[in-house]
Amino acid sequence: MSLSTITRHGPEISDAIVSFDPVTLQRKPVKKADVLVQFRELRNHEAVRIVEQMPEQDGVLDPAAVDKVLITSHCEMQRMSEEFQHGKRVAELLKPILQALREGGVKNPIRIVDIGCGTGFVIRWLAASGSLGDDVQLMGVDFNVALLNEAQRLATIENLRCKFEVANAFKLDEPATIFISTGILHHFRDEALSYLLQQHCRPETCAFVHFDFHSSPMAPLGSWLFHAVRMREPLAKHDGVLSAVRAHKSRYLLEVTRSAAPEFVSAIYGTRLWRMPIPRVFHSLVGIRPKYRDAFLSNMGTRIASLGKIE
Amino acid sequence: MIPVFLWLLATIDSAFIGYREAAGRNALIDKRAYYRRALIRGALVGQVAVLLVGVITAIVLASSNDAGALFSKLESVGTRMLTVYVPYALILLVTFLVRAFPSVDIRSITSVLIFGPFTFIRPIVVLAGAVWGVVAAPGTITIALTVLIVCLMLGLGGALSWLRSRGLIS
Repeated sequence: MSLSTITRHGPEISDAIVSFDPVTLQRKPVKKADVLVQFRELRNHEAVRIVEQMPEQDGVLDPAAVDKVLITSHCEMQRMSEEFQHGKRVAELLKPILQALREGGVKNPIRIVDIGCGTGFVIRWLAASGSLGDDVQLMGVDFNVALLNEAQRLATIENLRCKFEVANAFKLDEPATIFISTGILHHFRDEALSYLLQQHCRPETCAFVHFDFHSSPMAPLGSWLFHAVRMREPLAKHDGVLSAVRAHKSRYLLEVTRSAAPEFVSAIYGTRLWRMPIPRVFHSLVGIRPKYRDAFLSNMGTRIASLGKIE
Repeated sequence: MIPVFLWLLATIDSAFIGYREAAGRNALIDKRAYYRRALIRGALVGQVAVLLVGVITAIVLASSNDAGALFSKLESVGTRMLTVYVPYALILLVTFLVRAFPSVDIRSITSVLIFGPFTFIRPIVVLAGAVWGVVAAPGTITIALTVLIVCLMLGLGGALSWLRSRGLIS
């Protein structure tokens, strides 16, 4: 993996090699030549090399081969999440939110839906930890059937109380009480990000917590180093570094959220470590309905020091 | 004592090579048994490497006209290698102790500041220790043995991956 990846722009490979119909959620064929043209125009030679290696059938990227690469990449990403204690980090932020919702009399069960869950690491970790309470239902949704099948397979092996569904997270039969996601926000740019956040405004939804790379000057280089030593799959290395490069700035995320989802008060959690000028790898966009705000803040305990102004 | 220290470091290093080679290949949540196996496997494969170096060293010593002088030269190479490898290992050991503290932030920062960068520079440290050692007693035998040790230290992970790709380990 070349260090020049930190200067790249444009889509990640994993965005370009799969396509789904947003209405039917059916997978659409992706022409290899189109993907190559896209990356050549961006002068992203590394991405071109990676895509060139991918098998095709009649000019269309082989879906099974693409899925195999994506599953491997998710497995490697999980290793990084484990190293950075991501499951525990999510649980630490969800607990005060859940407590606030319970105190506010939210109807049971409280349904936590992970948007774009991939192989479901966060949902499976939360289920395995059993730390959120019996009144919480855990569900992961994604458009990619192969990733969800893998998530379900892994959950079944460990007998975990959670489920996975190919679905649009905002059109579920049983709507989410809390939306969560990891590493999703930077995939949505401009109007698409605004639209994603607008869709949180439904009566049943009380809060959301979206984790993503924290944009800082050191993030791309740090991400490059970690992906160089921890990842094997070229796609995972390339996309992981590009994710840090493409991460939204905290202020921008808040501006878009407050404009797109005015029913919620929102803040950024965890941009700095111990109030020192040490940027964190991940930060999170937190939103909660105003009626639960005070209870949420009082339940945060000492962690409130890491929460930005919530309004 | 020098060969014992070198053996101890080689065993610890190869155990962690086993861990790193296994990491990112199993997506279950509870992987304690999986990683335990990986650490033991790495340490055992490391013993094969140590044995190989040990046997070759023994043959070289046995066929030398002045085994005592050659052993002294090899020991001085080993001593200088330890001056590079021991501080590296100690920093990692202390970091593991810090990581035992049950804080998400402290654990993350151990990765950001030490585990990630130290994995990155490990090949450089291996080479630096070898060069620093050989400089103490340059000669055909010391250079050849040091090159063998470096190749084994840097090639063990690849060897484990090769065994995995052949389905010999899981």
